[in-house]
Amino acid sequence: MTVKFKIQGRTYTGTQEESLLGAIRRYGYEVPSLCYHEAVSPYGACRLCLVEVQKGKRRKLTTSCNYPVLEGIEVFLDTEKVVRHRKMVFQLLLAVAPAAKKLRELAAEYGVTETPFVPEDEKNECILCGLCNRVCKEVVEADAISFAGRGTSKRMESPYDETAEACIGCGACVHVCPTDCIGMKEENNIRSILRWHRDLPMQICKKCNRPFAPTFQLNEFAKRVNLDRARFDNCPDCR
Amino acid sequence: MEGMNVFAARLFPKDNRFVSGHRACQGCAEVLAVRLIHQILGRNTMVASATGCMEIISSSYPDTAWSIPWIHVAFENAAAVASGIEAGLQILMKKGRMPKRKINVVGMAGDGGTADIGIQALSGALERGHDMIYICYDNEAYMNTGVQRSSSTPYGASTTTSPAGKISIGQQTWKKNVTMIAAAHNIPYVATASPSYPFDLAEKVRKAAKVKGPAYLHVYSACPTGWRLDPKLAITIGRLAVQTGAFPLYEIENGKLKISVKTPKLRPLQDYTKPQGRFRHLDDATIAEIEKRLFEEYQKLERREGLIF
Repeated sequence: MTVKFKIQGRTYTGTQEESLLGAIRRYGYEVPSLCYHEAVSPYGACRLCLVEVQKGKRRKLTTSCNYPVLEGIEVFLDTEKVVRHRKMVFQLLLAVAPAAKKLRELAAEYGVTETPFVPEDEKNECILCGLCNRVCKEVVEADAISFAGRGTSKRMESPYDETAEACIGCGACVHVCPTDCIGMKEENNIRSILRWHRDLPMQICKKCNRPFAPTFQLNEFAKRVNLDRARFDNCPDCR
Repeated sequence: MEGMNVFAARLFPKDNRFVSGHRACQGCAEVLAVRLIHQILGRNTMVASATGCMEIISSSYPDTAWSIPWIHVAFENAAAVASGIEAGLQILMKKGRMPKRKINVVGMAGDGGTADIGIQALSGALERGHDMIYICYDNEAYMNTGVQRSSSTPYGASTTTSPAGKISIGQQTWKKNVTMIAAAHNIPYVATASPSYPFDLAEKVRKAAKVKGPAYLHVYSACPTGWRLDPKLAITIGRLAVQTGAFPLYEIENGKLKISVKTPKLRPLQDYTKPQGRFRHLDDATIAEIEKRLFEEYQKLERREGLIF
């Protein structure tokens, strides 16, 4: 259903089903975020997409990625409150993941270069946004990784921090990771997703003798689309 | 990144600024490249487009396929106009007539508009150091006007102005290496990309948009009409071009060269030339000659990898 709402005093239209952050970005406004991706459900983990939303008489600070576009709401993007809280979020994130280069660059764009908090692990790059998990579950439909532990020991890992047996080695998590902390390499016809301890042998094309995709991934795809496995023996260019 | 294209279609941004309804040929990989690039660049973008296929098919009066500011300029001055836009924006922001924000300024042209006609404007813009992206969509001839040869046409290709026949083997000169010419200007970012490797392309466009100063992208765009190629093979041919060494993918970031899609053993060139009608006349000896040259060029790239130049 189409609804009318306001951003910075100007009226725009959106639908109730979409995320407020998506609508704000569609109209050319810039709001930082790390854990948001259009292809998956919003999660609200990084807290960077803070905006102030006025609904009736009530005005509150909220994350825009998991807020719906509602009739008549008014959105404020850079009030003093938003700026102050976002700065704090950046400082907290920098304390969680001091080694994350992309996070540092983004924080510097918003004027935060150091954190008053003491980092627990100087080498940590993961901000626990869970985007890899959501992409693996909703887009790839492999569901190979998940959060483990709770509270202060929460971490993203493969089951029991051993080999992720369900991982098909597609690399979607590597691509979406906002801080590049997963890592992937291909050597001697073996593709490794470093963080999930997954090493997958590559299928060699029967015609041109080149590795083109992990064997496990092709088995999985053949099963999903219910096709003869022999169709996946050759690389896409030789098929 | 090269093998990770399985879910690319679903992980690309959905905000599409180059919409359907344009009049590109069936199987055009150039228009695919344009769409993918503008999905990445998003809404805050201004484009100056030289004459060429992309101008003709996207803006026939009274329609347009662009939902961002887009201007058609003459054949030779896409880079000059883009640098003018950048300078204009800068001064408006400085005077406070518009809010300060990051706007991507893009100059785009085909290989004719870049390698032949527009090279002086391009060289000037790169040398002056404007904060812009210049994108060359290389379909290796003047396709818009009916497949005339350009300096970017590869050796041995048959075009209407370099026809293959009894005494001619088609194009008699080697492809001009515009990417290296751009790199010689010592600009912060230069890369070659191909829509057949969408994640790689996305990564390069993001880097190009991020750097301060000029960035040059050379995008391989298969043209089924001009290359006498089956339209369904347009994406495959892009991958074959990379694997045979006909169009290696690399980037030069602050002078440091990195091959982005590594091919330890190049594929035989036959795989690339066979599906294309423009190479149909080539005999084995000529193909072996071209193959040798491509191999040497690829080795040259490999030797340069990681070096600052």
